Amino acid sequence: MTAIEEPGSAGRRAATSRTPGAAVHLLLTVLIWILLATMPLWIDRVGGYTNLATRVLVTGLAATGLNFLLGFTGVLSFGHAAYFGLGAYGVGLTIRYLVPSTLLGILVGVGVGTLAAVVIGFLIRKLRGVYFAMVTIAFGQVFYFIVYRWNAVTGGDDGLSGWRRQPLDLGFARIDILGDQTAFYYFVLVWFALATAAMWLLLRSPFGHTLIAIRENERRARFLGIPVEQHIWFSFVVSAFFASLAGTLYALLNNFADPHSLRWDKSGEFVIMAVLGGMRSFWGPLLGAAIFVVLQDYASSRTENWMSLIGILFVLVVLFFPRGVLGILGRRALT
Amino acid sequence: MTALRIENLSRRFGDLVAVDNVSLRVEQGELRAVIGPNGAGKTTFFNLVSGLVSPSAGRILFEDKDITGLAAERRVAIGLARTFQITEIFPELTVRENLRIAVEVAGGHRLLPWLSGAGAREVESRITELLATAGLAGKADGVVGELSHGDQRATEILMALALRPRLLLLDEPTAGMGDQETHDVAQLIRRLHRNQALTIVLIEHDMRVVFHLADRITVLAEGSVLAEGAPDAIAANEAVQAAYLGKAA
Amino acid sequence: MTQLIFNLFNGVIIGAFYALMALGLSLILNLSGVINFAHGGFLALGAYLAYSLMPHIGFWGALVAAPLLTGLLGIAIEWLLIRRTYGRDPLYSLLLTFGLAFIFEDVSRYIWGAQSVPYQIPALLSRPLSLSYFFITGYRVFMVALVALAVAALYLLLTRTRIGIRIRAGTHDLATVATLGVNVRLLRSVNFGLGVYLAGLAGVLAAGQLGLQPTIGTSLIMPSFVAIIVGGLGSLPGTLLGGILIGVASGITSVYFASATEAVIYVMMALVLLVRPRGLLGEEGRLQ
Repeated sequence: MTAIEEPGSAGRRAATSRTPGAAVHLLLTVLIWILLATMPLWIDRVGGYTNLATRVLVTGLAATGLNFLLGFTGVLSFGHAAYFGLGAYGVGLTIRYLVPSTLLGILVGVGVGTLAAVVIGFLIRKLRGVYFAMVTIAFGQVFYFIVYRWNAVTGGDDGLSGWRRQPLDLGFARIDILGDQTAFYYFVLVWFALATAAMWLLLRSPFGHTLIAIRENERRARFLGIPVEQHIWFSFVVSAFFASLAGTLYALLNNFADPHSLRWDKSGEFVIMAVLGGMRSFWGPLLGAAIFVVLQDYASSRTENWMSLIGILFVLVVLFFPRGVLGILGRRALT
Repeated sequence: MTALRIENLSRRFGDLVAVDNVSLRVEQGELRAVIGPNGAGKTTFFNLVSGLVSPSAGRILFEDKDITGLAAERRVAIGLARTFQITEIFPELTVRENLRIAVEVAGGHRLLPWLSGAGAREVESRITELLATAGLAGKADGVVGELSHGDQRATEILMALALRPRLLLLDEPTAGMGDQETHDVAQLIRRLHRNQALTIVLIEHDMRVVFHLADRITVLAEGSVLAEGAPDAIAANEAVQAAYLGKAA
Repeated sequence: MTQLIFNLFNGVIIGAFYALMALGLSLILNLSGVINFAHGGFLALGAYLAYSLMPHIGFWGALVAAPLLTGLLGIAIEWLLIRRTYGRDPLYSLLLTFGLAFIFEDVSRYIWGAQSVPYQIPALLSRPLSLSYFFITGYRVFMVALVALAVAALYLLLTRTRIGIRIRAGTHDLATVATLGVNVRLLRSVNFGLGVYLAGLAGVLAAGQLGLQPTIGTSLIMPSFVAIIVGGLGSLPGTLLGGILIGVASGITSVYFASATEAVIYVMMALVLLVRPRGLLGEEGRLQ
């Protein structure tokens, strides 16, 4: 408040403590992209396989999409498996019953998932905190029951099989993403790159800033003139859009739509990935997804009781690691 | 034009009548202080005017427009900004980031997924201008939550100013401050009132600040208007001394 | 017509389960701000404990002992784990109880197997009471009566006993209750135990009607959430009403549009959120 314009000691401390954070983040971003771009080349040598790499990418996209809402808007959604699963069934049903086109299937899957989020987001935009979480969990189950009951079309509890992703025909070239797992990995990577770039840019936009504002202090956000409910609704839709995109890619990866991909436990898994990796960090959810997917792959091949292990992971993260792996990097600037 | 007109405003919480049939007028360019003992209903009155709480009865008119049923964020959009008794800012962001959000929203950019170069430059220059208003430029990159109480308060006032309000409600702007900080904040409010001809209504406990700043004073007691008038008249009012000044001493 | 009465009656029974389970959830949510996602796990555990105890102490003994043991386990888990999430972002209590739900379901499967176990109810209760309405078995009437008894007992506990009055006061204003010298820590533990006890009781009863397999808990927890939302946030009578309403609604729907039996309650929830976001009997201001 003094007229002398000299940085206060607190200000200087904050400024210096933030600079390495930004540098580390840039380094991390570069490192992540190098790793993602080369993953099919080395994943076999570290005991993995190409489809595992693709699964990391797809799951990471879902968790990053969820985190748009969870980490950057501060809204607790525990029902994102619904949009992930709708994407999966959207693409599967399209290819199986309508048109054998991968791209059209993705379009339909994302459309269906996003539309559901538009409706549900509108209904829940006034709820907050635990109540928001509870309603998102409950609504998440609707689609599970529909898929489960609508046996004749969706395959019910057995899941939707009898369809495959189709090779891409770009006019000038044909890419065999069906037979060539590596080609499919890069196909997914392109989507991943587009989606994360879009989210990253959005978070740095005026709209993104209003979401951070809502997360930091809802009352202040409202008294800046931000219609908080509307922005939470939009953020919910954006977040579900990317979750359903991930869902379509997940179904394409497996050539199968799994009813469990839209059940409550899947929603919880996305949340734990975001928390495990660090939900205040843009790349945290991807990292969390990588750890989770690899751990699950390893555990489920060795023990029947991997569900307990996942449960124990939840408990341990909450008790000892609430800020996640990238939480140690400290705060990130707004822009 | 009357900046703010309140007609028979009441708010009940269960059996408690927090604001009881209050009527008042604040003219354009006026600086009005609202004082009264604890529990007089001052903050509830602000909450009603700003739209945080809806009234049980009565009307609120801002520049002759009935805003009684308008959502809080809509009131902000038409020129009514406020600060809170307990500072409401974004504590984990820097001063500059706090202001940026306010400036972007005020510029009508809140839904934009990107900002043009010209738009971004405009935002930056407005931030610089605001920082200069309170002499905060040197602390612009400090995280607000780590700054002094006075600087946090100044940031909150600047965020309200960023919205280019025509009526500013300040709820105890000097609460919990030392003498120097109180003086600085009071000077800032005085400058805003004088230089920008801003209409201000403030709740304040510090009588030095009240009598230094206010054009007129409204005294609330037990939810009702006990007295209203120029500072001299209020200071001489026996009912006010009995109900308020006596107790406060 | 008989079909409709049957499903209506069935709906009341199912609704009674939802209500019993949702009341326990509500108690914990209102006082501690925790959505106990492991509530279904506790329900399953209550049922399995009863199943294991029955050969030794009979159905009636198990009916008394199993919910009590479940409640005690609840207090232990609250003391060890849940307590650490109080005052933190609700995200963490939700994740913690999510993890517990996974563990409970897996452990139940490990100990008692993935298939249904034969859960015997006394012959006295399994007989139909009416020849024309064969479906009104003694067990069904018994369940509704017991749920009603449990609700009445809960009501007396919360309005007539010192601890109950403190729980209700804490629901409204925990900070004030704490300054009055009440041991809030202990209050929350007891309250958690009480909520889990109700889950255990619901489990013992539900297993006799629905059969017993490890997923019994998770299949009942979602409707309980819906019951709380429909009935109204922060209101126990609302929760009770919500539970019975959605039970009856799904009972009736199963007659006319069987494939929507599960979905109908979510449609009800959507309607309530649209018209009255805080729920039928919800308190004002609970949303903030």
